[in-house]
Amino acid sequence: MISLRWLFAVLLLTLIPTLQANAAELQQADFKNGVKLIVEEDHSAPVAMIQIWLKVGGRDELPGKTGLAHVFEHMMFKGSKALAPGEYSKKISAMGGNDNAFTSHDFTAYFETVPARESYNVIEMEAERFANLKLRDEDFQKEIRVIMEERRMRTEDDPNSHMFEELSAAALRLHPYRNPVIGWMQDLKRLTIEDVRAFYKKHYVPANVTVVVVGDVDFKAVKKRVARTFGRMKMQPQPERFNPTEPEPFGPKRIDVTLPAQLPLFAITIPVPVWQPGENDREAAAIAIATSLLAGGRSAKMTRELVDLEKVSFSAAAGYDPFGMGLDLWYAYGVLGPKNSPEKFEASLWKLMQKMGDKPVAENELAAAKKGIIASEVFARDSLYLRAKHIGTLETVGIGAAHQDEWLDAIRGVTAADVQEVFRKWIKPERSTTGLLIPAKGTKS
Amino acid sequence: MSLFKRLTPLLITALLWAIPAHAVPPIQEQKLDNGLRILLMEAHNVPMVSMQLSMAGGSRFDPANKGGTAMLLAAMLGDHTARHDHEALAELLDAEAIQLGAGADREGLNLSLTVLKEVLPSGIHALAEALLEPGWNKARFKLIKENAISAAQKAQEEPGTRAAQASVELLFGDHPYGHPAGGTLATLKKIKLADLQRLYQTQLKPEGAVLAVSGDITMRELVDLLKPSLTSWRGAPKTGLFDIENAKEVHGQTRTIEMPTTQTLAQLVRLGPARQGADFFPVFVLNHLLGGGGFGSRLMEEVREKRGLVYGVYSYFIPLAAEGPFIITLQTRANQAAEAEAVVRNVLKEMFDGKVTKKQLKETKANLVGSFAQRMDSNRERVGLMGMIGFYQMPLDYLQVWTKKVESVTLADVQDAAKMYMNPEMWNLVQVGPSSIIEESKAGDK
Repeated sequence: MISLRWLFAVLLLTLIPTLQANAAELQQADFKNGVKLIVEEDHSAPVAMIQIWLKVGGRDELPGKTGLAHVFEHMMFKGSKALAPGEYSKKISAMGGNDNAFTSHDFTAYFETVPARESYNVIEMEAERFANLKLRDEDFQKEIRVIMEERRMRTEDDPNSHMFEELSAAALRLHPYRNPVIGWMQDLKRLTIEDVRAFYKKHYVPANVTVVVVGDVDFKAVKKRVARTFGRMKMQPQPERFNPTEPEPFGPKRIDVTLPAQLPLFAITIPVPVWQPGENDREAAAIAIATSLLAGGRSAKMTRELVDLEKVSFSAAAGYDPFGMGLDLWYAYGVLGPKNSPEKFEASLWKLMQKMGDKPVAENELAAAKKGIIASEVFARDSLYLRAKHIGTLETVGIGAAHQDEWLDAIRGVTAADVQEVFRKWIKPERSTTGLLIPAKGTKS
Repeated sequence: MSLFKRLTPLLITALLWAIPAHAVPPIQEQKLDNGLRILLMEAHNVPMVSMQLSMAGGSRFDPANKGGTAMLLAAMLGDHTARHDHEALAELLDAEAIQLGAGADREGLNLSLTVLKEVLPSGIHALAEALLEPGWNKARFKLIKENAISAAQKAQEEPGTRAAQASVELLFGDHPYGHPAGGTLATLKKIKLADLQRLYQTQLKPEGAVLAVSGDITMRELVDLLKPSLTSWRGAPKTGLFDIENAKEVHGQTRTIEMPTTQTLAQLVRLGPARQGADFFPVFVLNHLLGGGGFGSRLMEEVREKRGLVYGVYSYFIPLAAEGPFIITLQTRANQAAEAEAVVRNVLKEMFDGKVTKKQLKETKANLVGSFAQRMDSNRERVGLMGMIGFYQMPLDYLQVWTKKVESVTLADVQDAAKMYMNPEMWNLVQVGPSSIIEESKAGDK
């Protein structure tokens, strides 16, 4: 299951954000200036994953400045007091490591995979660039061109991504998930180095930092190193995060997006709650199970009903991310073949949703959906990257990494009635926004 | 939406990285009496097992003009069996969270399995049933084929798909590597169920096949589970993996494909070394320097870091039983594509002229040697590596000696390899983009 916000990202392709099962013990430390450290020791291989998480993302951008959080992420590689532009990555590479970064609406994170003995040096390097970034205009002018190429590649020239971008914008009025993380091209063209500097000053403060380390390290040694690097930075005020309450929809919305394309894509999106531990565990877990019943595993109902039986599309899926801030844009879509019609797909899709609300799901199907979610969390433990990422996400969106095991408990507790309730309360036509990608005339091959 | 600062280089499986020998768990081997080789790396930190069965039944074995046959065969094997229709099989697998997959690449048809340790016996049963008791359901074949045709049409929206097809056609023509593994709109339509059955009967045999396994299991447990299920499987493939000639070289050609995009995708292509080629390691190091090493690489430095022309520019080669493709790829706003291509050709020229320093070579090797451990720190990655080693009959100490092989590549070796592969005139160009710009760039060439 992946969220709409992740759908059109080219992520390390094989990595789908999943959860963990039987998580090893997390060791934590809090520093006076607000920096937090979370370590999961794993001594099975001599490698470590270091991730520096920031409580800042696309949602924290001011109107007219969309894309700034992501632009900033790029600028972190453009030199500091100690290192010339590009030198950071070269040093990581020389120690046999890899580094990269990602930005979402909710967070920005920088990460390195390195031979474990280098972890302590890497923490020092991360702290150095965090504190002493150069932010030169000439580097910015080049990098903003790179980012426009990135937008062209990911969005402008991909009709499906483009349609989902429009769909998100149409679905929400207030919540920042309505804006693309990469930014609107119109905004990118107007950003300046002054915007970047102001963003740095406001958001790159110690209280926004969580250091996550998973791998063959010693917690005490890591803590010492963080204490004398990130831990020593001067305390600064922590800006409040932008997290407005989205007004309830008053009825269905619909957009058509006409672009050069081969085949239509039909999608719906619906704002649904995200997980708030202790508040809505059962409801959020039920949405996850409902989504898994529709689109997870081999018996996925959308594949079974829409693709195999009714043959109204050649592929169909749905997604939900319970680990967001404020809400998630739940989605479902079908990729239509040359003989399919959007009207038929739409009718079949809602007929299926209606059935899910009317009739309790069979016990064996419910059990299989739970088993699938739990197993995929065991499989995810095989990757240091995913383990660290899950810890960082939970911490940064405000759920708290300490709660990570409670999610599986919530999954286990979901009943067939809870699943029905999801379709009665949330997944309903009157709360949905529908988007249709229509191939522009003369663009089919 | 997450936005990576760089793209992950494509086709990481085509590459191999170095690892300090002490960190490599040994590969255990056992051969069943039907000829199937089993390779195992034990890893007991997570209660799971991953495996992949590779057979010489990939797309190069597709019948003429029926590209996509192997891919459809894989899809059918993974969909249902003689004993369980697609719904029953789905329920059976989902009940125990068994992930059974099937796919085809250029040379291999692969079945894969990822399971929790506790349900491994059922997982192996399912894998064996999918392999040995195909259902050949006609209605399912019709639907799977129709959906594959739709998917092939949808994929035409991606400039990368168009470029990949044009590149293999340009480089390989009628050679068995000369079509995309998934087939094309035209070739998929011609495929019949009998074509799948013929490929199944001639190629999917235990001799020469490899089952690579990684996870929470010992060889003895594994063999005890596998033997009863696979004992009836016998024979050797009609065409062996290494029964193949190299394609004839093509150079200096251009292919242009029009698409209404804002960017032009430019791909420079030529033949690269074979998996068992004597120059594999020098070319491997050379490519890492050129554009295989992400940000440290020269192409990234010149095209992105210095000029801001692209988000990413990469080079890679796909080592196969015969010489496979060597590819450099970038995407940039259409009106600056000619400039980006010129920069790439200039980088090639410099390397061709031997302009590589000892320091650069040292840094490249340090990165390769240091980073291997993390490339095999998961079960699925280990299965991929062992599958490659077994399938291409590389020595089992391949991973142990890998570091030494990389370290022993000299500056002279790299310069020799550059003389062989970096001559800008020996590369071909595939460009996908808006027509007006492509016309302009052609005019500019004259």
